[in-house]
Amino acid sequence: MTLLELKEGDTAVISRVSGGKGISARMAGLGLHAGKKIRVVRAAPFRGPLLIEDISSGARAMIGRGIASHVEILDEKR
Amino acid sequence: MWKSLTKSDNTEIVIALAGQPNCGKSTIFNAVAGFKVNTGNFSGTTVSYAETQVYIGGRTVRLIDLPGTYSISAIDVAERVARDYLLSGQVDVIINVVDASLLSRSLELTLQLMEMNVPMVIALNMIDDAQKKGMEIDIKALTSLTGLEAYPLIAVQGSGVHELFDSALRVSENGFRRVPPVYDRDVEECIARIEARYPSLLRERLKVDTRFVIIRLLEMDEEFERIVAEVDREFLEYVIENRRSLAEVHDWPESGVFASHRHALVLDLFEQVVSVKSRSGMGLSEKIDRFIINPVGGLAATVGVFFLMFAVSFWFGNLIAGLVEAPLESLGVFLMSHTSGYTAMLVSGVYDGFTAGVGIVLPYLVPLLVILSLLEDTGLLPRIAFMADGLLHRFGLHGKSVVPIIMGYGCNVPAIMAARNLEYERDRIITMLMVPFIACSARTVIILALAGKYLGAGYTTLIYLGNIAIALGVSSVLSRLSEDMSPGIIMDVPPLRKPYLHVVMRKVWIRIQEFLLFAWPVIAISSIALAVFSYVGIDEVINRVLSPITTFILDLPSELGITLFLGIFRKELTLIMLNSALNTTDVSTVLSSAQLLVLVVFTVLYIPCVATISTLWKEGGWKVALLSIALNTTIALAVAGSLAFLL
Repeated sequence: MTLLELKEGDTAVISRVSGGKGISARMAGLGLHAGKKIRVVRAAPFRGPLLIEDISSGARAMIGRGIASHVEILDEKR
Repeated sequence: MWKSLTKSDNTEIVIALAGQPNCGKSTIFNAVAGFKVNTGNFSGTTVSYAETQVYIGGRTVRLIDLPGTYSISAIDVAERVARDYLLSGQVDVIINVVDASLLSRSLELTLQLMEMNVPMVIALNMIDDAQKKGMEIDIKALTSLTGLEAYPLIAVQGSGVHELFDSALRVSENGFRRVPPVYDRDVEECIARIEARYPSLLRERLKVDTRFVIIRLLEMDEEFERIVAEVDREFLEYVIENRRSLAEVHDWPESGVFASHRHALVLDLFEQVVSVKSRSGMGLSEKIDRFIINPVGGLAATVGVFFLMFAVSFWFGNLIAGLVEAPLESLGVFLMSHTSGYTAMLVSGVYDGFTAGVGIVLPYLVPLLVILSLLEDTGLLPRIAFMADGLLHRFGLHGKSVVPIIMGYGCNVPAIMAARNLEYERDRIITMLMVPFIACSARTVIILALAGKYLGAGYTTLIYLGNIAIALGVSSVLSRLSEDMSPGIIMDVPPLRKPYLHVVMRKVWIRIQEFLLFAWPVIAISSIALAVFSYVGIDEVINRVLSPITTFILDLPSELGITLFLGIFRKELTLIMLNSALNTTDVSTVLSSAQLLVLVVFTVLYIPCVATISTLWKEGGWKVALLSIALNTTIALAVAGSLAFLL
C-alpha cells in the first residue's frame, strides 16, 4: 500500500520510493528513506499535502498527494 | 559548464556557504556581511545568490551564500548551479552549514560535499535545538571520522560565528586532511575498476576530482553522463555496465543503489557521533504548532496573517505616507522656488523619482518585508503553505505562492520578492507573472475612488472578484502551457522558532538595499523622462498616439491617454490626473457608467508600474519582465475592450 492510504495518526515504515530519480532524491533529501518509521500528523484540507513526521528525529515534512502515491509503505497502524 | 560569478584576485579568499534549506545559512551570512551586499541570479536562471566582501583576521574574504539544497544531485536548477559553483575551482573553502538538530539528514549533503574534494569546515548551527532534543554531539569524533573541523554555533545569537570563520581561514591557508567516505568493499572495488580505466582526456576536460565524477556517474547524474559521452562513449558504457551489476547484486534500482550505500554510511557516522538522551517536555513552540496544524488553528493563522498584511498596507502605510507627505511637499516647494527652466525640469524629475521611491519604500516595502521576514524566520510560512496548497494547486500554483498573493494586495514589489521562497523555477515564474494582476493598494484606491463612488458597492465587489478570477485564470493557463510538470509539493517543515529582531531587521535592510540599488535608478530615470515630457508639452502627442487604444478599443475620451500613460509610472497618478485631464471635478458628468467601469478595469489590469517591472527584471530577468508587460496589457485590452464593446 502507499502513504496515501494512511489516516491521520497512523504510523508506518517506508518500504520503497518509486516514481523516478527526482522523487526518491527529494524524499532522501528530507531524510525519508526506505526503512524509516513515519507518522502521518495531519492531512491538509482540499486534498492538500500530508504532514509527515520522521519518528526517530522528530523532523517534519509535507508531501503532496501526487508524490505520496509513489511512497510504498508497510502498514503498522497505531 | 562551470560558470563563474565574479572573478576574484589572488589575495582574496573565497568562502561559500552551502547547506540544506532552513539550516540558517543566510543568518550566518547576514551576521558577518559587510555594509554592501550584492544579490543576483545565476546567469540564465531565477536562482539567486548573495555575496559580500568582509575583512576577517586581516584577510579580504568574499563570502557567497549559495541556495539551500538537500543534495548536489542536480535534480533541480538550484542544486545544479550550487554544485557548478562549488566545482568551478574558485572556492577556497566551503562552510557546510548543518542544522545540528537534524544531523542525520544533514550529513547526507555533508558526505556528498566531502566527495568533491574541496577544503571544507562544518558549522553545527542551532546547537541549542539539538541539546533541547537531548542530542549530544561528539564534535571530536565527528572531526576524526570526517577529517573536517566542526564548530557548534547559534547563528541567531551570533555565538560561535567568529570561531567558525577563523577555522575556515586556517583551512584555506593550511589545507585540509582529506578523509573521503569509504563505502562497502564491493562498491569500492567497483569504483577502483572504473578509476583504472578513467580516460586522461576526461581528466583534462573536467578539472574535477575523478572519484567524485565516478560517484556522480554511479548515481546516474545526467549532466556528467552527457559530458562523459562526448569525451569517451566506451568508458561510459563500461561505467553503466558496472553500475548495473552493482544494482543487481544488491537488488536495488540502478538509480538508488549508490544513495542507499551513502545513507548507510550516514547512519553509521551519526551513531558514532551522537548519543541521544531523554528529550525535554513539550515546549511552548510545540504547543503553538499543534494549534496551527489543526484546520481551525491553521485557518485562523492564515486569516490572521492576511488581515495583518491588509492592516499594514492600508492603515500603517497610509499613516506613514501621511507623515512623510508634508515634509516632502515643502521640500518640493523649496526646490521649485529655487530653480527655473531646464534645471527646474530636471530637479522636479529627480524629486518626483525620489518621492515615488520614498512613497513605496517607507509605507509599503519596510512593513511588508518585516512581515515576510517574520513569516520566514518563525517557520509560519511553510505552515500557511501547508494549509493553502490544496486549494492553490487547482490553479496551477504552489502552497508557497500564498504569501506573494496575499502580499500583492499591499504592494506587488515585496510580493515578487517573496516569490524567491519557491524552490522550483516553474512555480516561481508562474507566481511572479500572476502577482502583477493582483490589485495592490494603489489600484485598490482607484477602484474605491471611482467604482466605489460612482458605480456602487455591487460593481466594486464584482470588480474585485473579477480581478481574483483573472489572476487565478492566468496562473491556471500558464501552468498548463508550461512544459515542466509541477512535481507537487514536498518540503521541510522546520519547528516554530522565536524570531530575533536584529536578524529580521538585518534581512529587511539587505532587501531594501536590493530594491534601492536596482529599482530606484529606474524610477528616477523614468521620472526625469516624465518631467521632460510634460515640460515639452508632449501630452497632446501621447493622447494622439494612444487614441487607437483609448477611443477605438476602450471607447474612452482621448484625453485619458496621458492619465493611463502616467499610471505606468505610479498607478495612483491615473486617479490624480483624471480630473485635470477631463477638466472637471465630477468625473461622472463626463464619463458614462460603462466608461467608468471600463476605465477602472483597464487601470487595474494593464502594465505593471515601473517599480514592479524593475523588480520583475531583477528577480526573474528581462524576459519575465517583458512577458509580464505583454501579458498584462493583452489581458487588460481584451477584458476592458470586450466590456466596452458589450456595454
